[in-house]
Amino acid sequence: MTAVLSARDLTRHYQVSRGLFKGHALVRALNGVSFELEAGQTLAVVGESGCGKSTLARALTLIEEPTAGSLQIAGTEVTGASKEQRKQLRRDVQMVFQSPYASLNPRQKIGDQLAEPLLINTSLSKQERRERVQAMMQQVGLRPEHYQRYPHMFSGGQRQRIALARAMMLQPKVLVADEPTSALDVSIQAQVLNLFMDLQKEFNTAYVFISHNLAVVRHVADQVLVMYLGRPAEMGPKADIYDKPLHPYTQALLSATPAIHPDPLKPKIRIVGELPNPLNPPDGCAFHKRCPYATERCSKEVPAFRQVGTRQVACHYAEQFL
Amino acid sequence: MSLLQINNLNVRFGDASAVPVVDGLDLAVDAGEIVAIVGESGSGKSVTMMALMGLIDAPGWITADTMSFAGTDMLKLSGRQRRKIVGKDIAMIFQDPMTALNPSYTVGFQIEEVLRQHLGLKGKAARQRALELLEKVEIPAAESRLQAYPHQLSGGMSQRVAIAMAIAGEPKLLIADEPTTALDVTIQAQIMELLVNLQQERNMALILITHDLAVVAETAKRVCVMYAGQAVEVGQVPELFDVPAHPYSEALLAAIPEHSIGAERLATLPGIVPGRYDRPQGCLLSPRCPYVRDNCRTQRPALEPKSQSLARCFYPLNQEVA
Repeated sequence: MTAVLSARDLTRHYQVSRGLFKGHALVRALNGVSFELEAGQTLAVVGESGCGKSTLARALTLIEEPTAGSLQIAGTEVTGASKEQRKQLRRDVQMVFQSPYASLNPRQKIGDQLAEPLLINTSLSKQERRERVQAMMQQVGLRPEHYQRYPHMFSGGQRQRIALARAMMLQPKVLVADEPTSALDVSIQAQVLNLFMDLQKEFNTAYVFISHNLAVVRHVADQVLVMYLGRPAEMGPKADIYDKPLHPYTQALLSATPAIHPDPLKPKIRIVGELPNPLNPPDGCAFHKRCPYATERCSKEVPAFRQVGTRQVACHYAEQFL
Repeated sequence: MSLLQINNLNVRFGDASAVPVVDGLDLAVDAGEIVAIVGESGSGKSVTMMALMGLIDAPGWITADTMSFAGTDMLKLSGRQRRKIVGKDIAMIFQDPMTALNPSYTVGFQIEEVLRQHLGLKGKAARQRALELLEKVEIPAAESRLQAYPHQLSGGMSQRVAIAMAIAGEPKLLIADEPTTALDVTIQAQIMELLVNLQQERNMALILITHDLAVVAETAKRVCVMYAGQAVEVGQVPELFDVPAHPYSEALLAAIPEHSIGAERLATLPGIVPGRYDRPQGCLLSPRCPYVRDNCRTQRPALEPKSQSLARCFYPLNQEVA
């Protein structure tokens, strides 16, 4: 099977002004991320605020141009694509955002919002567009009379259904979902996650699912990519990562996630401190200042993102945790 | 006599015919106890605590049979008397640490203000005490942070400052309203650990308001589950998590992805929380409850002792195991 989405050393740097008399500083928001994703599969990207998750989403959805590296969507290279090609690529990659309160136009009826992708990208007649919209609305659990309603008449869960329906209207090859359930209550989150899974099965869409909630990721993902300060820390099949995390950061993340039935025998790994300033990241491994296992080498040498068993890990001592 | 005793608390917004936002709530908290209140958005968790603090403004109004704190009747207090207790003996920390602090004043000034108002400390003594408090909440380089403005702090640091302000008056009761919802998971673990340590050290009572059941399972001893303004189940941790008696508690637990590891779909509770205009005549959960019977639709159950907990249900679950 060929990958529908393939990123190689994807990099995005931002220049930030530090005031009148100082030079620009460089934030390496995304620093060499590579992965391949097949149709019908889900890659979950996890990490804390500022780790580059959302920058990755913006690069994948062509909202922003990567600074370096290559990105292929359904075999077409994004960098250097012509205007026509980019238009086609944008049909193939759609996005669902975190806040369903901000991502829907408050002045447009739901039916019109769902029909808009068809209006712009296809030559369907008004009647055909309406039929497609009605069919999709039924699929995501909205009633036909909702067609004429405005976003403020819906609850958060329903709005996220609408946002998902809108993203799926063109049957994209890749759907990027940036924290799609973090604004929702647990019982509603479960409904929306089920809908995500149902639609993936129906349309065989590849998902890039960005989340900080490891319990949610465990449910939806096939592959998991853990990021820290713009770099990949660990990537591999879900079962391996949850059973035996190799990178100390992944271990800490999993250990810090509270559980309904906490295991009293499992020692808690508490990591100290906070994310370093991205303007001034530490030398060597970005995690070494918070890592309980850090050595001299970690503070000098940036660990390579290398293959260890079934997965890739960016830690000098990954083998020790096998 | 409990430290905090609330009986039959009702909070309404509007006239007497308005639907109560908090509906007949009973809550007792002993000194040195951690009690969690869980529920989804709009279940009345925060409004209950705002009622206790006297923060409900017109058109909201409260009625209660008892609302006493450490022997003081909170219902009969004048504004002036209330302000002597609130902020000193009862302190609160809020969900969003970025907006809980005043952006125009330094951290040191804001902590000293509490010390000045409630303990009468001034000048050097206040500064010294503020520094101790910052060290107590484990802020690195505390001395220099006294001069910092809130925008110079990260979310985790701001929450630590808010905690320092809350414990400045040596409160007997600390109310934490979603204290870690806005924070990353490793920071959440740090803050929860800090709160529990402070609680034990000072033998404070802690009321933890949250929608995250896993956080409750890891910290609280007793939990009150709220639904649509009512307490539907009150019980001990972990019994309530192992054998919930109320169908809503069960559904809430089942909707967590952690409960469905390996399953294709998450268990869901259909529908949404009833609003102002579709409040059922009988049990408030009856339109969504999978175990609903005829009398559930016409009669309201009372919160009564069941085998393991107090539950508001005619047909409680998991009774035979006890």
